[in-house]
Amino acid sequence: MSGGRDGAPEPSAAAGPGARTDRLDPAERDRLVTDHLGLARQLARRFAHRGEPLDDLVQVASLGLVTSAQRFDPDRGVEFSAFATRTIIGELKRHFRDKGWAVRASRRVQELYLELGHATASLGQRLGRMPTVAELAEETGAGEEAVLEALEAGQGYRASSIDTSDGEDEVLVARLGAPDGAYEVVEDRELLGPALATLPAREQAILHMRFVEGRTQSEIAAVVGVSQMHVSRLLTASLQTLRANMPQRTSASG
Amino acid sequence: MNDPGAPLAAGDRIELRFPARGDLVVLARLVTSAVATRAGFDVEELEDLRLAVGELCLLALQGSDARHGDLRLELTLLGDGVAITCSLERASTTGDTEPSADEMEAAHLSEQILTALVDEHGRQSEDGAVRAWLRKRRRELAG
Repeated sequence: MSGGRDGAPEPSAAAGPGARTDRLDPAERDRLVTDHLGLARQLARRFAHRGEPLDDLVQVASLGLVTSAQRFDPDRGVEFSAFATRTIIGELKRHFRDKGWAVRASRRVQELYLELGHATASLGQRLGRMPTVAELAEETGAGEEAVLEALEAGQGYRASSIDTSDGEDEVLVARLGAPDGAYEVVEDRELLGPALATLPAREQAILHMRFVEGRTQSEIAAVVGVSQMHVSRLLTASLQTLRANMPQRTSASG
Repeated sequence: MNDPGAPLAAGDRIELRFPARGDLVVLARLVTSAVATRAGFDVEELEDLRLAVGELCLLALQGSDARHGDLRLELTLLGDGVAITCSLERASTTGDTEPSADEMEAAHLSEQILTALVDEHGRQSEDGAVRAWLRKRRRELAG
């Protein structure tokens, strides 16, 4: 093995490309590394919630620390810990980037959002009431913060229709229209319960299939044995009835 | 990609106030990601901001007996990014508490992390109220 580090990205052009920039003797470098392993571990922990095993991150951070010691130039007047922190965070971020983390993360959020819809429905049936966020977190194996995040992001996709409506009714319909807006569904079902009970069983079933199970009108038509057009009409009529029978949404006192 | 919904524009301001407790810093992070999403930051920048806001809160809490106070988070949309301040507002000042060596070290680390994640940051102490702030610009979209 040769000692060259060709191809290793340099943080600045101060040193020639590919040149080793270590200005410290090996003993000094080793001391810096051992003294700052705790720093590397702390920084790795800051990134642990992004879903990579902590051990891997500690390894990436430790390598970043070694790189920092090799590149550190004490004459620059920057303290080592500041330089190392920046380098290590750079390495951690690159690690996530190389693994296509951003793409996977947004996919994961979307998947979790869908999963939450199903979890809400199944927990709701099992518990006989709507689940809490803590219960959803346990059911899906995601943390509470991740659950809240996913609910928020999921709603974001629909936010324009919610935000542009002016009346309460419009807001409700927009929320019903979000197939699995678990959090809103929790709230809305409480309000909807009594109104829903006034509908014929078939209409209730259709609403459930459409908005809880997220089935298409054609799928529902096949189940119920009517045309898709008829399902559409029944849905419209049911929503109108619900609107008429809905109690006023009680907003937080203020 | 999905449209993140109604965007926020320069000058829009969002404020959050909550009891100054470490376990509630999650609120600051959640609001930050909601705001950053609507301000057009990409997913990686958003994670940086969440991390940075956590450090900001730690800095604001630092060296204080904050059990009775509130943390106030203020996010202001700028033309090219976002400015965030986090201040500790204490119900009553119980004299200056000297930060311990551990706290000093933690604050130092937080500041170094901020340096790596955001464009500018700082911290001031006024009348017993600590105020930590940061500014982060959006990455220019390539192409």
